[in-house]
Amino acid sequence: MKFSLERRREVKPWHLIGVPLLSVIFGTLVGGLFLEATGHNAILVFKTMSQTSYTTLYGIGDTLTAATPLIFTALAALVAFRVNLYSIGAEGQLFVGGIFASGVGIAVGTSSSALAIPAVLIAGVLGGIVWMTLPALFRAWFGTSEIITTLMFNFVALFLMRYLIYGASTYWRDPTSTNFPQGKKLDQNAWLPRFGTQSVHWGLVLALVTTVGIWFLLRKTRFGYQMKVLGDAPNAARYSGVPVKRMTFTVLIISGGLAGLAGASEVAGRAHALDPNGLAIGLGYAGIIVATLARLNPFGAVIIAIGFGGLQNSASALQSLGTDSVPSAIATTLQGLILLLALAGELFVRYRLKISKKVEVSA
Amino acid sequence: MTQESVLVLTLAAAIGTGTPLIFAAIGGVISERAGVINLGMEGMMLIGAVTTFLVDNKTGSPVAGFIAGGVAGALLALIHATLAISLRANQIVCGLALTIFGTGLASFIGKPIEGQGLTKSFGSLHIPALSSIPGVGPILFKQDVLVYLSWFVALIASLYLNRTRTGLSLRAVGENPATADAMGLSVVRMRYAHVVAGGLLAGFGGSYVILRIVPAWSQAGTTNGIGWIALALVVFASWRPLRVILGAYLFGVALQANFALQAKGITVIPAEFLAMLPYLLTVVILVVLTANRRTRGAGAPAALGLPFVRDER
Repeated sequence: MKFSLERRREVKPWHLIGVPLLSVIFGTLVGGLFLEATGHNAILVFKTMSQTSYTTLYGIGDTLTAATPLIFTALAALVAFRVNLYSIGAEGQLFVGGIFASGVGIAVGTSSSALAIPAVLIAGVLGGIVWMTLPALFRAWFGTSEIITTLMFNFVALFLMRYLIYGASTYWRDPTSTNFPQGKKLDQNAWLPRFGTQSVHWGLVLALVTTVGIWFLLRKTRFGYQMKVLGDAPNAARYSGVPVKRMTFTVLIISGGLAGLAGASEVAGRAHALDPNGLAIGLGYAGIIVATLARLNPFGAVIIAIGFGGLQNSASALQSLGTDSVPSAIATTLQGLILLLALAGELFVRYRLKISKKVEVSA
Repeated sequence: MTQESVLVLTLAAAIGTGTPLIFAAIGGVISERAGVINLGMEGMMLIGAVTTFLVDNKTGSPVAGFIAGGVAGALLALIHATLAISLRANQIVCGLALTIFGTGLASFIGKPIEGQGLTKSFGSLHIPALSSIPGVGPILFKQDVLVYLSWFVALIASLYLNRTRTGLSLRAVGENPATADAMGLSVVRMRYAHVVAGGLLAGFGGSYVILRIVPAWSQAGTTNGIGWIALALVVFASWRPLRVILGAYLFGVALQANFALQAKGITVIPAEFLAMLPYLLTVVILVVLTANRRTRGAGAPAALGLPFVRDER
């Protein structure tokens, strides 16, 4: 028997939905077997996960809160990935977005909400853009790998954020917190209002509106069409007069702005201060996973982000299961596992496995 | 025992700090020379570290622990190879998935041993005559056997890439897989072998961290992001094994100088800013290399990151 792969002539819609769905199911199964093998109660784990994240009102509220930054970072990843720009800098741009947003929030928080909230959000976007500017310039005009530059800038941003809170008595640090340094609280006027279970904030609404906006940009505008040409056939784009350098720069800047908005939303909606620990939990990297699982579709990203948000959110509940305590790292492990399976499954969206009976005659 | 100066001690410690970077970055060079970028290195190092810890404490043999750590890294790299080469997945996303998976799995496995210490490790091996050279001796020749192994690995990798037939073939696979294929080379087999070898070395890097640098398992701080530094080092060294040594020790000196200054209470430059330096330096070097017309793409394998499909060129 001989196996060979044949490119599918057309990709049917059920392939697109089936593959991520099967990856989640297989991921859960393999994860369950792994839990049983390591002496944990898999059923109890999954039951707790669904209770803390998906089936109770408070659980859903927490899940949506956890999903909010992931929606932004997934959008940031997918606009860039669509034109084969593999920016992994959302992590750092989120930090700098958070730094800018909290800086402005502390300064203008005492004015009215109508002024303070937009100012904080715009500052976040600007922060993300500032952090992406150099990698985007280098990529567009020198061809410098955006993978390495954005990755390196993530660490620079992380240390910068740590410095602002732990390193010295800065504008961002709460002067009353000397033993356990913390970020200075924003005035209430700069907070994103909460609704629902009192944990969901307007950042979620903003994320959904942004998702529609990105969908519109990609599908309904000339810019979006040029992006599609550039992503699918870079040479054709070049010959047909798409301004490749300018497009590359602009797409990366949009990506940076979206990641910065994630930071602003976390600062103004959840932490209400620059909180290095709350921001540095891999939200940028997780966004890439969400975007990939969603096959770079903005609406798909929202659904996957909610699923992943729940996974992240349930991790701490698992750790406090008493005698059946499961390390919270199970959430990360499952995320990685599901993504790996989805990547493997992706092949079968694009290709068909052909099995021919004829035995190859070896020379 | 003679009292060494602070400078000598700092430099000797810098060699230790640089060693896991040498192992991992040489692994990165080998994998990337075959055209496969490995963003899963951090995950492979962590899995290598936790495996080394468990095997070492179980068997009481650091040698067994070191080898087991390498094998664990290689197994994770095999997943990377399968996905990136056979299943033509996006190498960037795939590597990232492996880092996330590896980090999660390592801290899951490591949870019961959190905070425990390593019972047995390698000691220093003083090389006769050479170790008594003032200055240089204590820095270079009073290290452990794995430090000497890392030099050997870099040397072999350099000779392999530049002086052997297979090494030449490997470069063809990374530069122009279609031509390599037409020459009769198996692109798939070459890529598999070198990605797995790269994972083995990344695993060794993780092993070294647990054996010689922080001999206790901590899920947060064991590799402390050095898998990413190793990735940067590959670029920093423009894909040349011997330059990796130089780069790794530069990083090592930067980190150790940071500690030494902090210990003395010298805070002219905040520690966080010193910690940024290696990352900024990597960006500067990469930009200078690519901005300059002559050196553009210097050393970077032309087919890096691209899957090879024979019938769809």
